[in-house]
This record gives sequence, C-alpha cells and structure tokens, in this order.
Amino acid sequence: MNAIQTPLHTEDYDALEVGTTATTASKGSVRVPWRFLGGRALFYAFTLWAAVTINFLLPRLMKGDAVSAYLARNRNISPEAADGLRALLGLDTDKSLFQQYIDYWSLLVRGDLGVSLLHGLRPVTEVISQALPWTIGLVGFATIVSFAIGTIAGAIVGWRRGSRLDAIIPITTFLSTIPYFWLGLLAIALFSVNLRWFPIGKAYGVGWSPELSFEFIGQVIHHGFLPAMTIVIASLGGWVLGMRNMMLTVLDEDYITVAQAKGMTNRRVLWGYAARNAVLPQIQSFALSIGFIVGGTIVMEMVFSYPGVGKLLLDATNAKDYALMQGVFLVITLSVLVANILADVAYAFLDPRTRQTGA
Amino acid sequence: MKLVSTVVAVGLAATLMLTGCAGSGAPNSSGSGAALTIAKPDGAITTESHNPFLGDSSASKYSYGKVIFEPLALVNPTGDLNTTPWLAESVEWSDDYTQLVVVPRSGVNWSDGTEFTADDIVFTFDMYKSGTITDGAGLNVTDVTADGDTVTITFGNPKFTAQARVLHTPIVPKHIWADIADPNTDPLTDEGLVVGTGPYVLDNWSTESVTLKANPDYWGGELAVPTLNYVSYGDNAALTTALVSGDADWAQAFIPQIQDSYLAADEENHFLASPTSGAGTLFMNLQTKPFNNPALRQALAWTIDRQAYVDIAREGASSVIWSSTGLSTLLDDEILPEYKNENYSVDVDKARQVLTDAGYTWQSDKLIDPDGEPVSFSLSVPSGWSDWNTEQALIAEELKEGLGIDVKVDQPDWGGWDAARQEGTFQAIIHWLEDTGNAYGLYTSTMDPKWIVDNKAQFNFGRYNDPAVTEALNTYAATSSEADRAAALAVMQKAFVTDVPAIPLGSHPLLGEYNTRNYVGFPTTDDQYASADPTQPGVLQILTKLKPVN
Repeated sequence: MNAIQTPLHTEDYDALEVGTTATTASKGSVRVPWRFLGGRALFYAFTLWAAVTINFLLPRLMKGDAVSAYLARNRNISPEAADGLRALLGLDTDKSLFQQYIDYWSLLVRGDLGVSLLHGLRPVTEVISQALPWTIGLVGFATIVSFAIGTIAGAIVGWRRGSRLDAIIPITTFLSTIPYFWLGLLAIALFSVNLRWFPIGKAYGVGWSPELSFEFIGQVIHHGFLPAMTIVIASLGGWVLGMRNMMLTVLDEDYITVAQAKGMTNRRVLWGYAARNAVLPQIQSFALSIGFIVGGTIVMEMVFSYPGVGKLLLDATNAKDYALMQGVFLVITLSVLVANILADVAYAFLDPRTRQTGA
Repeated sequence: MKLVSTVVAVGLAATLMLTGCAGSGAPNSSGSGAALTIAKPDGAITTESHNPFLGDSSASKYSYGKVIFEPLALVNPTGDLNTTPWLAESVEWSDDYTQLVVVPRSGVNWSDGTEFTADDIVFTFDMYKSGTITDGAGLNVTDVTADGDTVTITFGNPKFTAQARVLHTPIVPKHIWADIADPNTDPLTDEGLVVGTGPYVLDNWSTESVTLKANPDYWGGELAVPTLNYVSYGDNAALTTALVSGDADWAQAFIPQIQDSYLAADEENHFLASPTSGAGTLFMNLQTKPFNNPALRQALAWTIDRQAYVDIAREGASSVIWSSTGLSTLLDDEILPEYKNENYSVDVDKARQVLTDAGYTWQSDKLIDPDGEPVSFSLSVPSGWSDWNTEQALIAEELKEGLGIDVKVDQPDWGGWDAARQEGTFQAIIHWLEDTGNAYGLYTSTMDPKWIVDNKAQFNFGRYNDPAVTEALNTYAATSSEADRAAALAVMQKAFVTDVPAIPLGSHPLLGEYNTRNYVGFPTTDDQYASADPTQPGVLQILTKLKPVN
C-alpha cells in the first residue's frame, strides 16, 4: 500500500485560480440554471431532428430497390409479379420525397413505424420488440459487467503501478485484439462441441417458449453464458487501459498528496479521491458504448445464432427494408441521446465543476 | 461474412478432428421416436407469421408452411422432372395449358376435423381471381368453377412454362380463410387459424425454434417422424457446427469444404446436390464494347473452364454444362439432334482462331480488338457470394492466360450490383436463371425482351432482342401443338448457339445435408424422387417416405 510516490511540486501558484476551492463555490445560491438547461434541451432537440432526418434520407440514397431484393430472396416468385408486389409492399406511390418526409414525421409522431417487408409485413414495432430485449439483456449485461470489472481492475492496477498487477494490461489488451468471431468460435469448439458444457448457440432450447419459470430462466442463463463471457473478454481491455491511464494522471494531482498527507486511509484515497476523478472519462465512454449495445453486436449474433438487433439491421439494409432500417436507426439514435443525457446528469453529480456553469 | 465463414469452418473442422470428438452421440434422443431438426442459416427469425402466401413470413423462411399447407401436385425440380398429384387425385392440363382440371382427393380432412372439399380449392384460387391475394406467382386466374367432383381453373395466359407455380399454390381451408380480412398479410397468430391438410400441425412457436407434431389423422398414412423442429442458426459456420454435433439433422446450405467439415465427421452424414434446369450463368452486356462482338463471346465460351466452376468454385455442388445450346444434361431431351454432340470444351487455340477470324490481334500478349483497342472488362458479383467470387478469380485468370484479356474483378454491395444489372450499366455479371423446368427457362432468361420494363431488366440483362426469337419464345410458351413448340425451340437454340448471348457455367443445384442416424428413405443420387432440400415442396414426399432405422 505504499507504492505511491507523490511527485514534488515546487512551482508557486494561486490556489483560487486553479479552482481548488470549488466546494465553497457550490454552497452559494441554489438557483436553477435555466439558460444552461434550455441550451441543452435545444441542443438535444436539434440533434434528434437531424438524426431522424438523416434516418429518413440515408436509406433512400442507397442504390437498389426493395422489390428486386424481394425477388432475389424469393426465387419462386416470378419477376412478372413485380408490379403486384410493389402494390403489396406499398411502393407503388409516386409521392415526392418531401411528401414522403412529411408522412414519415406524421406517422412517427403517432408511433407508427410502418411494416417490415422482410418480416412477413408485420409492424416494425413488433419486429423490433421481439429482438431488442435479447440485445439489451445480453449485450447490456455484458457491457455493464465489462465496464465494472474493467474500471475497478484499472483503478487497482493504476494504484499499484509497477507491481506485478501491471501484467493485466497486456493480457487484457491481447484478448481484445483477437477477432471476436474467432474468440466465439474457439469458445464454441471448446466448451460446446468438445466439453458439451454449453449449447452451441441460440437464446434458449428448441421447443421452449418464454415463460416465468426457474427452468426457463436457467435455460436463458445457460445459453447466454458463452456469448456474454466472450463479449466481456473481448471488451475488457479498453476499460482497464482507459481507467488505469486516467488513474496515473490523477495520482499525480496535488489533492491526492494532500489527502495522503492528512493521513487518510489508502482505501479512501483510492476510491473517494483518485478513482472518483479518474472515472469521469470512463463514464463518457460508457455513454457512447450504450449506442453500440442497442446496435447489437452483429458478429456475436451470427456466431452464437443469438436473436438481436444487429442482424436485423444488416438484413434490413441488404433488403432495402426502409421501414425496418428507419425503426432500428431511430431506436439507436434515441438510446444514444438518452445515454448522453444520463451521462450529463451523472457528470453533474460526480464533477461539481459542471454544475457551476451559471457562475 | 461467407468468406469469414470459410476460414472458420476449416478451422473448426480441424479442431473437431484433432480432438476426435466429432459427432459422437447426438444430444437429441435417438431411435424411432426421435425428433427431426431442420435448420437454416438465416439468423434468428423472431417475427411470427404462419401465412403461406407471404414470401417472408416465418412459415416461408423456415419453410414449415410447406408441411402444413399442401399443394395440388408436386413437380419434381430434378430427376425425372415428373408431376405427382398430391392434394388432387389427378391434375390435367388442357392442350394449350390455359385450363387445369383438378379432381380433389377424397377422404382428406383439415387438421381441425372439417372435411376437405372441392370448395376449398375453388376458394383458394378465387382469392387470386378477386385480387384478395396479391398474385405473386403471376397466375392470372380468370375463372374457377366446381362441377361435382372436378374443379376447372382457367388462366389468362398459357401456363406451360409455369406449371410448378400453379400446382404448388398452397390450398387453404375456406371455413377459416373466408373470415380473414386481409389474407395477404394476416399472420394467422390467433388461436385455431393454422389449419392445413398437411402431415404436421403447429405445436409451439418461439423466437428460437418452431415445433410441429405429426398430424394423427393424416390422409397419407402414419408418419415415421413424430416431431419436426425448425431452427435457424446465425450463419453457415454455426449451421455446420450444429449439423456436425447432431443438434441439427437436415439443412440445405452451401457448406465450404463439405468433405472435411461435415461428411468426414460421421459416416451417417450425407450430402446430395440435385441439378435443376436453372444454371449459374455468365451474362454479358451485348449493347456495349467489348461484348457487342459475338466473336468475343464465342471465344469466351471456348475458354472458360466449366469443370473448374463446378469443382473449385462450387466445390462439386453443381454439374457442368458444356452443350453449345446452354442446356444442362437434365434437359438432354430438348436438345436438337444437330446439336447433340456440339459441345464446348476448353480449347484456347479454337478461341484464338475465332478471334483472329474476326479481326482481333495480339500485342505483347494483350488482345487487341479490330478498332485497335485492348480488350478488357469488369466482371461483377456482389461481395460475399463466395462461390461466384471464386469463379470471378478463375475466369479472370483463364482469360488472361488464354486470350490476353484483362478482367477486372468487381465486388460491389448488393444494391450497386442490382442497379447495374437492371439498368444495363454492367459489362459482365454472373447471375441465376428463371427456372421453368424446361428449356424455356434458359432462353427466356437470356434472350426475351419481355423482362425489360421501363428500361429496367429483370432478366435478359444483355438486352438481346431478335424479333424471330421473341416470337419463338412466345410460341413455345403459348402453343397447343407439340410440333409448333419443337419448331420454336429450334429457332431459340439456333440463335443461342450462333449469338452466344450468355454462357451457362454449371447447373444450379438444390442442396441437402441429412443424416441417416434415426431415419432412412431420403432421396439419393440414384433415386431423386425429390431434391433433398427441406425447403422445397418435395419435403412432403420425403417426410411421408421416411422410415425409422431398425
């Protein structure tokens, strides 16, 4: 516990200018920063509008058309029926792009995302709602576990720099450089095919239906273990490295020296002072990675035959299934925005400086 | 992803063999009561729709709709190309193939106990006639009448070249479908709507698998397999793992290195590739240089190695087409006597002779066209279509070495490729053919201007247009006289041989991987009563023919 060598600062500086008295400043009036909140709200509203508009435009800029994609998929259907199909799929209209854009917004406001060509003309909301829980459940769980383990491990490794624990860094970094599909296939070959500990894929067993029973939940955990474990292994390196590097920077700060000089326990200095400050950029990265959670990890879904949004989006893109593409993009956009709002809030709690914008 | 899958499958196979654990004991129960698991490589199919008329419903994607709803007759896409009456006791076409007379099978009940009658057939085709169902198969039904025990269906155009499309129409029960507001899109997820005459009935549907149970009152007799499971794996590699480990029993996927990765794992594993009348075909843009010169197309036909296509690109899952008529051996009967022995081969000298005669020259091993420009073109196939991507490389090499033509290998995404083939902005592509079960498929796909609507091509991408051939194509499809049809066929074949509008490489096969651990009676190379593809209508014939292993 004495591995810390606090560097000596010899230069003179003005404590007020550097901002070390921030705690006193926040004890001032508790006025609501309306301008700040209004600015943020406007910013998010603009981002939402831009994102939704891009969602609308991007698929339409892509080459290829939905009906010929449909015919290529279903070769028992005659190309002679292309006109009939156009009508069936609702593509026979000659509406201008602007009119389509207006319709798109008015449907969106009513929560109607259209029907998915690729999934038996079922409503997009139904299609997404069948896949999204699995993605959020598995990838979300794995990301949180990976973030938690990685951040805690990074804090400890940073705290004890120079010790043998440093070996964790190259090991986790190495694991995250292995192509994910290869890691997944190795896991399947070893644990599923040879040892037969885990099933080779899917979210639960053949012949089951989702139900609230211990057996079913057991099935889901049994099936989800390998995919979740491989995601954690593949993504751990980034979290450990990021946290450890921030720790190294923070540990050089004077307030750490002060805290130790005051005789605080190492544990309190580590978690209450060093880690609390070092974790801030991690939280920003975590907010960003929430977008990837909802986007699904397509390789995992393919290797483990797991249901999810990633494959949904890939197939929709290949099939020019505009409605489904827009629906999935919308969900991703919204979740990234919500994650950013949450990150803003979390920052405000963890970092008093962000609360002072009104000052 | 398919390229990745190849690497992966090889690696996986190696791992399996090293440890010697492959396929030892399937996790499924074995013996006569074992379930049969039919698998696809399409990723999770998470949206429930049992509608048999919708191409992308879960019933169609998994293809379990085909064992619930039965068609009037089954047309074998391979082997003898025969038609077997199924839900009809007999099906009879009029001479000009505009009328179909059907005698419904008696003693058949729907799975809810109601009797199946001629009314159900009339009702099903009436939905097409009235437009309640989108005419996806282009049936063009104009009249349906029942007279006692027979049903007569009349079509607006001759169906000689589309018999399978008509006969494979799933027949649905009137007493249920009459109350369905929109039969086009209804998912049939409400209680008691999935009622068919087929050998299996729906038991359980989940986002991970679909289970069907044998129909105890099936008209075709007792079934050997009590339970069918339909499962979809993430990709080919995952499917192969499942097939090897015994989690899946039956599939129709293209598996790279199939000998090592699947067949070697267990001697009970089998693979059957059944040729059909369709073919993987090299389409050239006849409107622009360099392919507006027939001599060059002919030279290509004498240079491209079809055996390499079958052996290397398709890894054996195809059969070669050498006939100068472009027809596969399955259609031998239709080849004119004068072309019976007219086959291409890899003969570079001959190809060079053809080019020299047409005024082509060579400069430092590069082919120069009569205008004095070097010949080069780009050959386009969407990236990820691994078998045809391999063929691109093979063709590029063969043409460079043999003729000194510089072939640019182009692998765009599907959308870009699709736009180019429709708008005719490509130079050469590899594409499939419309499969009609006879010679018409090849010739309409390569020479028929009817596919070009609004200047967009659905077939005939090279935009061949010869009024005599067009007329012959129409005659072949519409005539009621066998002699006229033969004469029309002669016109088409002659034009195809002289003009070489496209170069078929190898027949398009229907694939099937299955194991005989629990059940036997699958189609084999010697007995192709159906293809071994579980997503084809012929699955009915196979399921009713399977026997438990003793």
